[in-house]
Amino acid sequence: MVILLKKLLRTAWSYKAQFVSMLLMMTLGIGIFLGFNMEWKTIEYDVSRFFEDTKYADFRLYSETGFTQDDLEKIASIEGIDAATRFLSVNLDLKGDEKKALAVDVSENYTVSTFVLTDGREYDDAGDGIWLSDKFAKLNGVSLGDTLTLEFQGTEIECEVVGLIKAGEHMICLADSNQVMPDFTTFGYAFLSPAKLSDVLREKAARTVSEELEKAGLPKDAAKEQAESAVTEEMIEAAKDKVFSQILLRSGMEKAALEDAVKEALGRTLMVVSKEDHAVYKEAMGEATEGKAMGSILPVLFLAIAVLTMVTTMHRIATKEKTQIGVLKALGFRNRKILLHYSSYGLFIGVVGSALGAVLGYFVCKMVMSEDGMMGTYFDMPDWSTATPAFCYPVIAGTVLLLALISYLSVRVQLMGTAAEALRPYTPKNVKQSLLEKLPLFRKTSFATKWNLRDLMRHKSRFAMTLIGIIGCMILLVGGLGMRDTMAGFLDLLDNGISHYATKVNLVEGTQVEEAAALIEALDADWESYSGISIDGYTATLDIVQNDKGRISVIDQDNREIDLGDDGVYLCLRLSDRAKIGEYIEFSPYGGEETYRVKVNGYNRSIMTESVTMTDRLAQKLGISPSVSAIYTEKRSDEIPSSPLISGRQDKRQLMDSFASFVEIMDGMVVILVIAAVILGIVVLYNLGVMSYVERSRELATLKVLGFRSKKIGRLLISQNVWLTVIGVLLGLPAGLGTLEWMLSALASEYELKLMLGPLTYTVSILLTFGVSLFVDWMVARKNRKIDMVEALKNAE
Amino acid sequence: MSIVQFENVSKIYTSGDHELRALDRVSFTLDEGKFVVILGPSGAGKSTLLNLLGGLDSPNEGRITVGGADISKLTDNELADYRASTVGFVFQFYNLIPTLTVYENVKLVSEISKNAYDAKEMIGKVGLLDHLNNFPAELSGGEQQRISIARALCKNPKILLCDEPTGALDSETGVMVLKLLLDMAKNDGKTIVIVTHNQNIAKMADVVIRVKNGKIRSVEEQENPLSADEVEW
Repeated sequence: MVILLKKLLRTAWSYKAQFVSMLLMMTLGIGIFLGFNMEWKTIEYDVSRFFEDTKYADFRLYSETGFTQDDLEKIASIEGIDAATRFLSVNLDLKGDEKKALAVDVSENYTVSTFVLTDGREYDDAGDGIWLSDKFAKLNGVSLGDTLTLEFQGTEIECEVVGLIKAGEHMICLADSNQVMPDFTTFGYAFLSPAKLSDVLREKAARTVSEELEKAGLPKDAAKEQAESAVTEEMIEAAKDKVFSQILLRSGMEKAALEDAVKEALGRTLMVVSKEDHAVYKEAMGEATEGKAMGSILPVLFLAIAVLTMVTTMHRIATKEKTQIGVLKALGFRNRKILLHYSSYGLFIGVVGSALGAVLGYFVCKMVMSEDGMMGTYFDMPDWSTATPAFCYPVIAGTVLLLALISYLSVRVQLMGTAAEALRPYTPKNVKQSLLEKLPLFRKTSFATKWNLRDLMRHKSRFAMTLIGIIGCMILLVGGLGMRDTMAGFLDLLDNGISHYATKVNLVEGTQVEEAAALIEALDADWESYSGISIDGYTATLDIVQNDKGRISVIDQDNREIDLGDDGVYLCLRLSDRAKIGEYIEFSPYGGEETYRVKVNGYNRSIMTESVTMTDRLAQKLGISPSVSAIYTEKRSDEIPSSPLISGRQDKRQLMDSFASFVEIMDGMVVILVIAAVILGIVVLYNLGVMSYVERSRELATLKVLGFRSKKIGRLLISQNVWLTVIGVLLGLPAGLGTLEWMLSALASEYELKLMLGPLTYTVSILLTFGVSLFVDWMVARKNRKIDMVEALKNAE
Repeated sequence: MSIVQFENVSKIYTSGDHELRALDRVSFTLDEGKFVVILGPSGAGKSTLLNLLGGLDSPNEGRITVGGADISKLTDNELADYRASTVGFVFQFYNLIPTLTVYENVKLVSEISKNAYDAKEMIGKVGLLDHLNNFPAELSGGEQQRISIARALCKNPKILLCDEPTGALDSETGVMVLKLLLDMAKNDGKTIVIVTHNQNIAKMADVVIRVKNGKIRSVEEQENPLSADEVEW
């Protein structure tokens, strides 16, 4: 046994190029398989746990007019609801710095959508301070005990930072749907207590009364004093009823059942959004779904290539070892023992490759899913422990066993027959005339072409493997570089194709067009209104647009601007299967009883939301009175006067800059894919190249003896791979585009991306694939110079 | 007139500290148009001698002149050109290219030789015109060796080198192949060098060189060599 083990190690050494390539492929195969699958599982596991720890709401109800205490009680009493809270989330600018803002949340009942404290004081619903995002605090140099001043509809809120937190509600902290990547240097989140909200509302109410008294002629100080005593608890409660525009629920109910129960309890239809449809949860779980989609293509490709490499290489080793196998048999070793010995080759590669692959997989996962990793910029959560999907273990064990089985089967073929037969060296299959040779063109081809074509027919598995290697290399390159191009195109579209403004000004919820008219005119702005609608029970966004000044554009699927007509709506591409152009759709806004029937005028590419778009004129015609959600102006944010209508300002440049980290993540992924493509190409092609060289060494030696120069023989070898590379590239290009299209469709639930590949991507992918192929050819062709003619021609074939 | 001259030629193989003198200061000359048999037991150095003469290998010491040109210090490319123009090989195991047909195997040499004969004519001479489009594996051993001879002679070489050309054939086919070889080469005035340990083939030679332990034991000229038919196998 020890001797056979020594034999295994020495044989491995004598076939070191093959063993190293098999080990590398196995390590890469398992590493990428495990890494990608661990990545999505880790997202799912860590994110779910964080959501659970922070009691993330299962449902949220929206009302533009707000919820009263009575509404809450009625909702909370619905059977099947475990916890309910009135909730306010509003974006407020930080005073002193025009460009910094916080999403400020207030939850009346701290049993839904809470946070995890990382430093400071525990949450206190009567507390006066602010619980601030620890990441925002760190990146903006804010410490516990510092005072922040926020602006809320003209009222300043001063509060001391009493706790540093992480909240599930803001795990992906985006200012609005236009932002793709969080940027904690400019935008964070915080929680205030309901008591603090009451104080703010009291101050706001007092200011309003005081201003009215001043207008009535009272001196400022007197008006202020009188106003403070005039504000009653009822007034504050009424104000609260207006600002709490959400009710968050913890419940295991079905959405439809809850909708009915809510309608029955409150007597009106409300927009009910389940957590699966809520932006943060949807985005986070979307990442896991994307990871799953990615995990089912790339790793499978790598693993399949690893196994196929093993099949061809083990077959080659077994044929080379045939005489030794015969010797063992002739010596009296039983077939079982010989088979066991050779199966251990595959087992050895499987076990060592899997162990190294597990380490690689862990690092691949960590590179993506860790606080300092790629996702660290996107997700803000406290725990980044890794998790592995359960199916990975049997897959790895199965792969190891498969490798042992491949070795077993490769050797079993050589063991068949008598010991004398086993002792005879392996003879490759004889060549037969193929159909190809019947073509008149074939007869006219050069000797080199015929030689190479017949060689490929004779060694079909090597031929297929080489093609798969080249196609794999192309898929990774086109996929990686194409994804980057598409993202860059998407950003360019967002920057130059859709947004022609300098600043987006978000208005306070419920601001009517008439109220905002003066501001819109002063800022020479266009405006947009988003609100929730139901299309046959499916939640979408109604996007009412007034873009006469061209500050914002609506684009079609070819990214061309649509001149919106006033006689119909435009469905975003994700909703395009709901109605054909010219057909009618029906929708009902949440919070009302009306149903509207409108013609579908066309389809548009919506960057983020699943939306139905119409002009303000059509809205008017239909009798919809929209509230203005945002206005778009060419004025800089510091040129915009303060107004109680403004809830926040967003600089377009700043928004576009926030994509820098997104692009960085993309670049990281592209680098990984390009490196993987090059490694895959080199390992597979070198291994097969060496195999081809060994298989043809006798023929090459014959050519050399006949007087062919080494360079000419080298060219002969290279020409075969050049042709294979041409075929591989031709097949790999559409395969790469198909893979990319497939990956983009996996992203379709979040974005409507259009495949955009620049000429540079095509050029780089093709040249790099050819570069890898020619580099490997050159390395293999070099061996040809050292071919030992005498040794190669000694034995019978 | 001599065509080949070996002057104190040595070939030494080293493996670690161990040194093996496969040929040890060998000297002899061969005349043009002669049929030479190099005879010796296994390991005597006869194949090494053939390899040096064929330009497959270079000597460590001494000088080899073929047709007046020194081939002992040629570069790889010069050796390739020498093999392409001056020598033709016939091997024990034929060494035909398995992925080329009979015709293509012979035609192949026209890619490198300027004075090559017509491939079909050569195949006709070895009597295998019916098998032009067959692959080597579809032929018998004797037929394969005949193609190998056609390929070697198609280049129109000055010297034909044969390493145990009948070693893998039965005696009847062996005689037939030898006869063909001698007929074709001798009629064309080629010098033929056969390496073998078969004493019977030596009876057909004009010159018999006996090799043992890397040294030439004797160079014997035979005035009345037997024909292939006369040799008892």
